[in-house]
Amino acid sequence: MASISTTAAPKRRTFGELLSSDLRALPVVIALIALWIFFSTQSDIFLTPRNLSNLLQQSTVVGIMALGLMFVLLVKEIDLSIAAIHGVTSVLSAKLIVDYGFSPWLALPAAILIGAAIGSCSARWVNWVGVPSFVVTLGLGLALNGIQLLLLPATARYGLMGTGVEYIAQTTIDGMGAWMTWLIGVALLASLILSGVARRRRAGLEVSTLHGVVLPIAGAGVLGAIVVLVLNANQGIPLPVLIFVSLLGIGGYVLNETQFGLYLYAVGNNDEAARRAGIRVPLIRMAAFAIAGGIAAVAGIVASSRTLGVGVFSGGGVGGGTLLLESIAAAVIGGVSLFGGRGAIHAALLGALVIGTVQNGLNLMGVENEVRLIVTGLLLVLAVSIDKIIEKLTGQQSF
Amino acid sequence: MTATDSGGLENKSLPQKSVPLVSMRNIQKSFGSVHALRGASVDVYPGEIVALVGDNGAGKSTLVKVMAGVHAADSGDFEIDSKPANIRTPADATAHGIATVYQDLALCNNLDAVQNLFLGRELTGSSLFGRRIRRAECEVRAREVMTRMRLGNLSLTRPVGAMSGGQRQNIAIARSILWTPKVVILDEPTAALSHSAAQQVADLIRGLADDGLGIVIVSHDIHHFVVNATDRIEVMRLGANAASFRSKDVTGEMVVNAMVGGNEGVNLAG
Repeated sequence: MASISTTAAPKRRTFGELLSSDLRALPVVIALIALWIFFSTQSDIFLTPRNLSNLLQQSTVVGIMALGLMFVLLVKEIDLSIAAIHGVTSVLSAKLIVDYGFSPWLALPAAILIGAAIGSCSARWVNWVGVPSFVVTLGLGLALNGIQLLLLPATARYGLMGTGVEYIAQTTIDGMGAWMTWLIGVALLASLILSGVARRRRAGLEVSTLHGVVLPIAGAGVLGAIVVLVLNANQGIPLPVLIFVSLLGIGGYVLNETQFGLYLYAVGNNDEAARRAGIRVPLIRMAAFAIAGGIAAVAGIVASSRTLGVGVFSGGGVGGGTLLLESIAAAVIGGVSLFGGRGAIHAALLGALVIGTVQNGLNLMGVENEVRLIVTGLLLVLAVSIDKIIEKLTGQQSF
Repeated sequence: MTATDSGGLENKSLPQKSVPLVSMRNIQKSFGSVHALRGASVDVYPGEIVALVGDNGAGKSTLVKVMAGVHAADSGDFEIDSKPANIRTPADATAHGIATVYQDLALCNNLDAVQNLFLGRELTGSSLFGRRIRRAECEVRAREVMTRMRLGNLSLTRPVGAMSGGQRQNIAIARSILWTPKVVILDEPTAALSHSAAQQVADLIRGLADDGLGIVIVSHDIHHFVVNATDRIEVMRLGANAASFRSKDVTGEMVVNAMVGGNEGVNLAG
């Protein structure tokens, strides 16, 4: 009967149950470690600070793209135009800077806003006309590719050297600066966790000090310290990496802590239930597409700074090319479901690292590009298959 | 054997001086050329479980949807606490203390019980990146409600998709009473449940009625659930009230007879 045990000790969960909930990322982490072990046996250079720093930098563009796309995938939609948004906004901002003499301080934020606006337009079309987002964004992507070509000059390229944009990719934070950055990050995380714990304690709810406080803070601190050590042994923290990590932090906060984040998951799982609960589903969808568009533009800025210019190739070339496919693949490998309502923020990081590692490692082994595509493709299928197999074996649908 | 007409019954069966929480009289509703409700009436009293039964198309679902604000009535009297109420949307109904548990439960399987209970009405505070959910407070409120419903041992932190049908039904009911309604409408609460799970839901509903809530149930499960777990049965046919029974006075056969119109003496209200 009324067993009012407010602090009912949680039943010890089986490993299978953990795999489908808290340890969902474990297979990807294991795969990543296995890849690193494999490549370190194949190449002496792989584990050097210089190469790891490179690997991290190479992963940022796809990682940022995947992070933005996640918001759309969470609401059970897809945006195939993110690569085209990435391309067209980076060309547009380059044109503003080179042809019209705009300051990057103006042109780059404008690019982000335009990216968000484009994303919100496709959401409007999906909401009001009811065309599936797959079709809307496929068509929009091609149209944007056309606009990108129209915006380019006869030379088909804008060089960005000397405009100030190049500093984004070239800036690194080294030495004490890197450690200060680490300290700020850990402090922010700790204050977030501790304030949450304090609220729970005040409300009379139990909190496990070890699992709820010590492990997350110490884990993030140690992991961050290792990354900083490695990066400092090279040139310090590259600004693109810091941008990616900051976006991950903000994204994680939004998804885990805010009402909007919760609504993304609710809409993705059961939009009718969300609607009946009074959630403005079209608005949530539009915000998700706008975020994906804006973040795609951020990735475009980082990419154009790395390549010191924009051209036909920006945004993965016509059709989005490998940039689009790898962005989707990164999110899915990281554990974001294409069927909505499932996926945590670290998916973008893990997925991008897997793809970046394969690319970097195979390059070091001197293997051709073809093999890289084959391996990445197989990894994608494998990642989703492992997920399905775990679901079948444990009988637990993972969320 | 014969059913009493609805007017006579209410006086006998109800507590003294009880005022209906919700009173719907002579409700008309058409969808295009389909005349779904032809002067249907129902009263809901505090502490009473009333079942709406009828064949498919009898109008019982339409009637509760009018009560829940999903459909607006074309005409008729709709009173809440003896005052005329203008209910045109689900939000209106909620604001007047009418909560609905839909047959499909309308739960998000990927969210836990606390998140589902508060969905759309989270307790939040402001933060730099949007409204931050005050999770601890939500959890405390959720636990209170669950404990009051004698569901204290239900996990609040597992995704509800991992729970059994009965547990999910209980969470949907808990969500409906979280904001202290006066009337709870349950649409086919036992449709997909095992016998024992249905019995648990019946106990739960009885507990709510004992707390003074008015309960309206739409159900096809006449023989087990309706005759055993409710107080009053309103039989509908062709968009109007066909008969009214006190649940303890009837058998399932009598109710079914009234539903299909094979019962002599049934008051075919027009």
